[in-house]
Amino acid sequence: MFKNRGIAFKLILLVSASSALIFLLILSYNYQSSKKMIEENARQNAWNLSRATVNRIETALRSVQKVPENLACYLENSSYNKDELVRVLRAVVETNHEIYGAAIAFEPHAFDRNALYFAPYFYKKGGKTELLYLGSESYKYFYLDWYQIPMELRQPQWSEPYFDEGAGNILMATYSVPFYRTINGGRRLMGIVTSDISLEWLRDIVSSIKILKTGYGALLSRNGTFITHPSKELIMNDTVFGIAEARGDKTLREAGKQMVRSGTGSISYKNIWGKQCRMYYAPVPSSGWSLSLIFPVDELMADVVKLHRTMLFGGAAGIVLLSLAVVFIARSITRPLTEISNAATEMGSGNLDIDLPSVRSHDEVGRLSDAFHSMRDSLREYIRKLTETTAAKEKIESELKIASDIQMSILPRIFPAFPDRPEFDIFALIEPAKEVGGDFYDFFEIDATHLCFIIADVSGKGVPAALYMAVTKTLIMSKAKEGITADRILMKVNDELSRDNDVNMFVTIFCGILDTSTGEVCYANGGHNPPLVIRKDGDISFLGEAGGLVIGAFEGMTYTLEKLMLGPGDTVFMYTDGVTEAMNEKEELFSDERLERELASLNVVGIQELVSGIMEKITFFTGDAPQSDDITMLAVRFLGGKTFV
Amino acid sequence: MRIVLILFLLMYSSIAAAGDQPLRKASFMPLWSTQTQFAGYYVALDKGIYEKYGIDLSIVPGGPERPAADFLMKKKVDFTVLWLSTAIQRRAQGLKLVNIGQIVQKSAIMLVAKKSSGIKTYADLDNKKVSLWEGDLSIQPRMFFRKHNLKVKIIPQSSSINLFLRGGTDVASAMWYNEYHTILNSGLDPDELTTFFFHEHGLNFPEDGIYTLEETFMKDPGLSCAFVKASVEGWVYAFEHPGEAVDIVLKYMVREKIPANRMHQKWMLERMKDLITEQGATDKIGMLKQQDYELVADELRKEGMIKSIPAFPAFYRQCTGYVQK
Amino acid sequence: MEIEVKKELDIFIIKIIGRLDAVTTTEFEAAINGLIAEGGNKLIFDMGELQYVSSAGLRSFLGTAKSLKAGNGLVAFFSLQESVNKVFQMSGFNKIFKLFNSMEEATKFMNT
Repeated sequence: MFKNRGIAFKLILLVSASSALIFLLILSYNYQSSKKMIEENARQNAWNLSRATVNRIETALRSVQKVPENLACYLENSSYNKDELVRVLRAVVETNHEIYGAAIAFEPHAFDRNALYFAPYFYKKGGKTELLYLGSESYKYFYLDWYQIPMELRQPQWSEPYFDEGAGNILMATYSVPFYRTINGGRRLMGIVTSDISLEWLRDIVSSIKILKTGYGALLSRNGTFITHPSKELIMNDTVFGIAEARGDKTLREAGKQMVRSGTGSISYKNIWGKQCRMYYAPVPSSGWSLSLIFPVDELMADVVKLHRTMLFGGAAGIVLLSLAVVFIARSITRPLTEISNAATEMGSGNLDIDLPSVRSHDEVGRLSDAFHSMRDSLREYIRKLTETTAAKEKIESELKIASDIQMSILPRIFPAFPDRPEFDIFALIEPAKEVGGDFYDFFEIDATHLCFIIADVSGKGVPAALYMAVTKTLIMSKAKEGITADRILMKVNDELSRDNDVNMFVTIFCGILDTSTGEVCYANGGHNPPLVIRKDGDISFLGEAGGLVIGAFEGMTYTLEKLMLGPGDTVFMYTDGVTEAMNEKEELFSDERLERELASLNVVGIQELVSGIMEKITFFTGDAPQSDDITMLAVRFLGGKTFV
Repeated sequence: MRIVLILFLLMYSSIAAAGDQPLRKASFMPLWSTQTQFAGYYVALDKGIYEKYGIDLSIVPGGPERPAADFLMKKKVDFTVLWLSTAIQRRAQGLKLVNIGQIVQKSAIMLVAKKSSGIKTYADLDNKKVSLWEGDLSIQPRMFFRKHNLKVKIIPQSSSINLFLRGGTDVASAMWYNEYHTILNSGLDPDELTTFFFHEHGLNFPEDGIYTLEETFMKDPGLSCAFVKASVEGWVYAFEHPGEAVDIVLKYMVREKIPANRMHQKWMLERMKDLITEQGATDKIGMLKQQDYELVADELRKEGMIKSIPAFPAFYRQCTGYVQK
Repeated sequence: MEIEVKKELDIFIIKIIGRLDAVTTTEFEAAINGLIAEGGNKLIFDMGELQYVSSAGLRSFLGTAKSLKAGNGLVAFFSLQESVNKVFQMSGFNKIFKLFNSMEEATKFMNT
């Protein structure tokens, strides 16, 4: 899938993906660290805020605690009568505006041996201070929390806060202080001093806590009951444990347990409005209450979230820009590449004249384009030259062909060559190799009874060989006059050829002159392959072992004249080295021996069949191996003297 | 046999209601202020079950200052909820009241101690400070201590549990459906507490039962029985629709300006179901078993709280018998 | 074809290995012309490992002989194989070149 996509696509994908990844990694790291910092900040803030708030509450509580404590101190250290008690108590209630009511409640029979209850209680009602004596069959104050708890615990106690309907349904709590008297050295509990104190100020303190936008503070009693909370329904009616129970939230319950046990800590939770919050809590030591501060996480993180949202958008925009830049770069690479590719395809189909895209840049693409331009130009030039060369070569080849044709045409090719001469028969066959070769043969009548025949092989190939051959042939023709012998022909021709022969070309030549009346052949061999004599009876032999030097090599050479007597039906078979050195695919030579054997085995009548037969043998022998040299054969058969009567 | 009778009853009452007979007025006072301890009655009222049974019922709110037994005795209400132990004592004292339906089968009163105070078994209660409610609510704990020969320092217990929570007492009395949950929701976990249920110690005193004066009953047994049947139906409905039942009770609580906490009322209703039904089975609600009666009466007599045991048939008027007449 | 050349005093002894035909003569001629250009005018060809010589090869020898003859040089051959000897005999080159059986004979000829 990816493999077949273009470079632009791959670049965009890789660059955008990797930069997006890097960006996101940095962003998320940044977010995490910011979050940590902000949480730490919030923790610090919460701690500072709760410490400040707790201090305010503590200070206020301590100041109101002072009143009943002082009263208890007075009761312990003074003697008093009923009137005095009532007077002091009234003064306490009337002079302390935060005190709504106060009582001095004595233990059973402790004030008056005859009275079970004695508990004067002053309370404010409608602007007046009223006196009530507590204690009756239906109001056994000994068993009420405000009395019983400090009594049992023998220490001052804040009651659980409560709403006092009589005082106008305001939040109150009673602070109870036990007082004692030393009797007979023993410290005996005499009763409890109480003061009912409005907690409205407390509500004001806590509800004045504003945390971020919607964060708030809440105060919990020792039982985990909400004393203050923005939600009125919770106040004095629910506990943190009730909320935890309703949600099945064990973490919140655990936090609640910490809170009622005067612990300090924090948890993450959802507040009653379902908002994810961080709650920090700290105790109010003198009353055992717990102040909790609620930080909405989204508001806490608002700035960070905003910053990161901006960064995210910025980053996304950056990646888009980057992608666009990549697209631009990729396009600037791929467009010329595509054009070059198209041009290459076009060029591949043979059109070199198309316009190549011009790339002005000097980068790799520019260099590729330049290289492509110069390749196109070189190709064009090469093709042009090749065309020229081909033309020239074709011309040469055609000229060579013509030369070859001319060369062949100067050889006698019409058989029977002497249809009016029954005394002999002559047949020649030349199978030129691909190139113009140097083989040639010739035969002509010197006079009425003498037939000159030659077979020769010019060393080398091609036009020089052909020319040399033509020269040689012409020279022979000009020298072979009546009465001349073969050795003299060779000697003369040799001298002519050798003189000023700078090219060192030479010719192997066999020259024979047949006396058609007698069958005598006078011959000379200038370095040529020895011919074979095939007697009529089938006897076959090579003619002469050592010949003379090839002609054209050294001037002034002499040649030996040899004689051979042919009977009617005897044949002289001449050939060039193209026959014996014909090679098959196994690089074996046809060889003298095979030629001799094949000649002996050919059971034919005429010399034409003989020559053709050998040619077939050679063709069969060489098979598919290429012919490397001219193959030339010449056969002369004496048929018997002709007597002119 | 019973099913046929109930069916007959249902038909009878619905026919009575449908027959355009005027609704009979009746009043009822629960043992305590409004809470799901009495969910069945409020649900029956709210869902029109009493009306269906031909009763125009008014519920007179109970409370600490309004003893239900007194209201019944003074004929201020027709029907009320009393504890069996209370009722037996009153009957023995000569008050002619009759049980017409025993709703709660198991005693919910219990003792609770913090494990941190070293109390793991009842033997650990020896020499400990125990706060007890007054009156009939202290009968079982006192019997329990005597039975196990435990010497404890008894102090009175107020209506709150704060003394216990603040460590002013080692052991506190609690109702399973009420104070126990308050303790839990003050931050003490069940595994931090040791509990003593009296029904587990051979002192099962069935609690809430429906009572009326014998006189009232004899005058119109049909009304009494219709009230009982309707109330039982209310309970069954409440158990089957706990959420709705809590809502109904909360509605009445708000109306009476009583602090209403849903989770607490939910807990209470769930415990009431445990106390009223036998593992959730609702078909026997309202039966007073003679052996339960005899166990309570016997214990009271042994304690000297009554001199003689009132006759069971005179005490318990099973409605079926009268309706058939 | 390969050529191994060694020099003994003023005589170059050139060992021709392989075939000397139309294809290899160019290389051969270049090597020999190089020796002549160096001033060598006494060349002995070690023919012991020359397996074949074509007419083109003969032409090279001829050219070499002619070049040396012009500068009073000498050329000799030794250890001709049967087939090569046959070519020399047949073409009459034995008449214009000095052929020896061994290198000693050839050097002896050169030094006299």
